[in-house]
Amino acid sequence: MSRVFRVWGKKRGHRRTGSPLLGTVGEILFSSVLFVLGLLSLTALILSQSMSAVPRFPPGFGFWVLILVLSSFVLLGGGGVVWTVLHASVTRERRSSLARRAASLDLRGSADSKEPDRVVYPSIPSDANLTNSPGVKLSYRLPVVQSPAWRLIFASVFGLIWNVSAAVLAFFALKSILGGQPEWFLVLFMVPFVAVGGWLVRDFVRQMLIHTGIGPTHVEISAHPLRPADTCQVCVSQGGHLTMRSLTLSLVCEEAATSQQGTDLRTEIKVVFERQLFRQTDFHIDPGLPFEHQCSVEIPAHAAHSFRSEHNAINWKLVVRGEVESWPPFERAFPVIVYPAHDDPEAHA
Amino acid sequence: MTIPKPMLEPLIAVRICTPTGVFHPGDTIRCEYQIDAVQPAEIQAIEVSVLWYTEGKGDEDLGVHYFERMTPSDSVDGDLRQLHCLQTLLPPSPLSYNGFLVKIRWCVRVRLFWGRGKQMHVDRGFQLTSRGR
Repeated sequence: MSRVFRVWGKKRGHRRTGSPLLGTVGEILFSSVLFVLGLLSLTALILSQSMSAVPRFPPGFGFWVLILVLSSFVLLGGGGVVWTVLHASVTRERRSSLARRAASLDLRGSADSKEPDRVVYPSIPSDANLTNSPGVKLSYRLPVVQSPAWRLIFASVFGLIWNVSAAVLAFFALKSILGGQPEWFLVLFMVPFVAVGGWLVRDFVRQMLIHTGIGPTHVEISAHPLRPADTCQVCVSQGGHLTMRSLTLSLVCEEAATSQQGTDLRTEIKVVFERQLFRQTDFHIDPGLPFEHQCSVEIPAHAAHSFRSEHNAINWKLVVRGEVESWPPFERAFPVIVYPAHDDPEAHA
Repeated sequence: MTIPKPMLEPLIAVRICTPTGVFHPGDTIRCEYQIDAVQPAEIQAIEVSVLWYTEGKGDEDLGVHYFERMTPSDSVDGDLRQLHCLQTLLPPSPLSYNGFLVKIRWCVRVRLFWGRGKQMHVDRGFQLTSRGR
């Protein structure tokens, strides 16, 4: 019996346990119930308001909220039924083929002329955002992958909310102790809460130091996109007022795989290639006079090309890592795109 | 006396016309496929596609390069069991890749819709690599 009715499905290699047909029927049932419930309730609500000679209550804010909620039930339920039926009746290959055909056409019904590489290499990320900023020393200034400002904003907002909550809890815990009726559960609960708050303050200070104390890092590149066995020039520039223990520039390739388990989305990242291009130790950077170093980078002949699909990716990037005296270490990454080794895109366009 | 109904499934034969199974971007892939062991009236449709898909830790992604769907009305005598051929020019990317978390595979997939809503498919894999490798 347990083989027929499985509560939980499992992923076993290529296949999943459980019946896809039962899953589809379940989804359709759920969406239908939502749709019918929403429709009936919405109809009853509107009729009760419009049919009665003397309205029971004037349509106020609550009425319109109810209308909105019940309409969303109808839309979600109806949309769910249509989506599930379409999804079940068309194979993945056919859907993908239709999506590809739709993506390759613009509004005029012709192939995309703005980015011909996107048509030839649809699974390779576009480099439009990497080559739109000219460099000072070399052709292009690469953008940083993740702005440190976002990390700082996150650390400050989350730390603030957490510590305000901790302060409120601490106030009540202290009040209970001073009042002679200590709330021991609250006091015990406070210990890990305050500890996390302290760690968040430390993280905020660390991010603040990295953001304000360590100057900007720029990486410029002489050619882009890159191809296996290509060699190009890279210029790294580090500003600030720092005593550096070390500064390194590396070429890194990493794989990223995202999988969904229930409502949980997990992304695993693994570095599959790393080559140090340059390392300098024990030197000073003076304000207004950034440290600069130019070197060459060679993409390995057998390198995998950059790749991005919905759940999987192969990313290439130039990574600058620094260790500064009496400062936390920092790392800044600059993406690059590696195309396949073969001929020009024009040859296939 | 009841005679047990034979549990026969249709046969799908797929052959890629190359001795090595290795192709380069811009090459033409030729493939033959045939359906057997099923009555013509039972075949509802055949979908054949040349596609890449991912394997590994992440959820599977799929990209179709070539797709064709045939129904009995597409055939003169309504019999889709005859030998079919497909040929298509292979794209520049994505190339086959065998990584740690991400693997990219290419295959010819023939999917048969038969009986009352049953379907089955057969994949015949090949490699798409750059000329330098």
